[in-house]
Amino acid sequence: MTLLELKNVSVSYGRIEAIHDMSFSVEEGEIVSLIGANGAGKSTTMKTISGLLNPSRGSLTFDGQEITKMKAHIRVVKGISQAPEGRGIFPGMTVMENLDMGAFGRKDRSGMSADFERVFTLFPRLAERKTQIGGTMSGGEQQMLAIGRALMSAPRLLLLDEPSMGLAPQFIKQIFTIITEINQQGTTILLVEQNANQALARAHRAFVLETGTITHSGTGKELLANPAIKEAYLGVG
Amino acid sequence: MLDLLLVHPVSANDWISFDIPSLIQNFWSATFDGLTFGAIYGLIAVGYTLVYGVLNLINFAHSEVFIVGAYAVVLVLSALGFGPSVPTLPLSSIILDLVLALIIAMLASAATAFVLERVAYRPLRKRNAPRLVFLITAIGASFAIQYTIFLVRGANAEPAVTMFQAQPVFDVFGTIINSQQIIIVIAAVILMILTDQFIRRTRVGRGIRAVAQDPDTATLMGVNKERIIIITFIVGGILAGAAALFYVMLVPSGVQYNGGFVLGVKAFAAAVLGGIGNVRGALLGGLLLGIIGNYGQILLGDSQWTDVVAFVILVLVLLVKPTGILGTSLGRSRA
Repeated sequence: MTLLELKNVSVSYGRIEAIHDMSFSVEEGEIVSLIGANGAGKSTTMKTISGLLNPSRGSLTFDGQEITKMKAHIRVVKGISQAPEGRGIFPGMTVMENLDMGAFGRKDRSGMSADFERVFTLFPRLAERKTQIGGTMSGGEQQMLAIGRALMSAPRLLLLDEPSMGLAPQFIKQIFTIITEINQQGTTILLVEQNANQALARAHRAFVLETGTITHSGTGKELLANPAIKEAYLGVG
Repeated sequence: MLDLLLVHPVSANDWISFDIPSLIQNFWSATFDGLTFGAIYGLIAVGYTLVYGVLNLINFAHSEVFIVGAYAVVLVLSALGFGPSVPTLPLSSIILDLVLALIIAMLASAATAFVLERVAYRPLRKRNAPRLVFLITAIGASFAIQYTIFLVRGANAEPAVTMFQAQPVFDVFGTIINSQQIIIVIAAVILMILTDQFIRRTRVGRGIRAVAQDPDTATLMGVNKERIIIITFIVGGILAGAAALFYVMLVPSGVQYNGGFVLGVKAFAAAVLGGIGNVRGALLGGLLLGIIGNYGQILLGDSQWTDVVAFVILVLVLLVKPTGILGTSLGRSRA
């Protein structure tokens, strides 16, 4: 079943159009990766799906419902949750308070405590550091917190914007292992990456974004094997 | 002018002299007076600090949010029969009337803040206006409200409304503390504690802190930013309304269309002194500014010095600690 669909979406910043006529869909249960260089429009795509940006043309549908004009904070309640680029940890709040913020729109106490358990099982490090102030954590820990926090809204679709950015190599592998695990627990994932290797290897399907347009699409394995993509994004010729 | 100079030659020595014995003699009365006025500055300062916290906007029109509350107090109390002389009503009915005036002043100030946000600032946010435009709009809104009051109520100060005779309550080191001072300081501290706890402990308070720290991420957590902003303005308005009642209690004939300006500037200074964005800092800054101004006035022998000393201290503190005494807090450290 199609969970998210973008149809002919264009997004502009003032006169500069960052995304041109983009269409793609995410099926329930998938991991879909969007890869591309800096400025290709990856983050713009994510912000348009989460509602921080409004498209100038086109439409978005989530779970069969049109959400093109829906406010961002309502999309969270509907089941779209984003771990933003740069992690967006609230620097003055503790780990627990940050996680609490993730559940801001929820009222089901029992479901929330189950999700706290889930997050602490996925990220034991966070359980050890419940009272640490977010701004004092390392980059890898902040990324765990950002993903954990995004899970606290019990999303159906989890948007991950550059989860590997600025992380040490051993952390990158760990984060992607956890992303796969979250997906196997039933959460659909759309992720945006410059680290194409991991992003393609973990994805069911993937798209390559170049200057605001999708130029390649296929399964993760197909794109990994594509010579043009190998040369442009995987650092091998 | 020349004659004047000849008749009264001014030497630097006459111009600034430190009257230390007088300060020692009046130390406690200056402290308690300063605390009382400082509590009022602090209450107004919260409005500046909260709005700055969530919008990074210095809401210059907040002084008018305050003065509208002061007008509400005067109008309600005059309607209830209060006037320049000490009322002869029984205590219980005075208390009831003052509570009514307090509630109406809070509502009037909160409503002013609400309308201000909706009419002046929200349309600018929708259009992504640059920061400078907000600032100019704030100043414009301040004048617009001032002169609207001028049109309706005229240029003169409202006739005095005396709430009750200040009664001596107890004696500290030979200085009498009166009932007004006690009521104002205790009420202000209670209101500040409530506000602080509201921001630290409640769900809406968490939303306010989240928007202050990172508005986009707060939105991604499901926080309705627009709702948080309007709540912030309303909370600031409620406290300004309370400040208005206490101000009229102390200065019964001090309500004039442009009367908010000076208090607004001092309250803003208090917010900066304590650390803008920080609710506890607003109270601390207010109290310090009130006390220090009074010390300066006695030390230098003239009430004109009150503000000079207060603002010199402000500048000195900011030179040493640019974020204010407690630091900018809704944002970076924990509110």
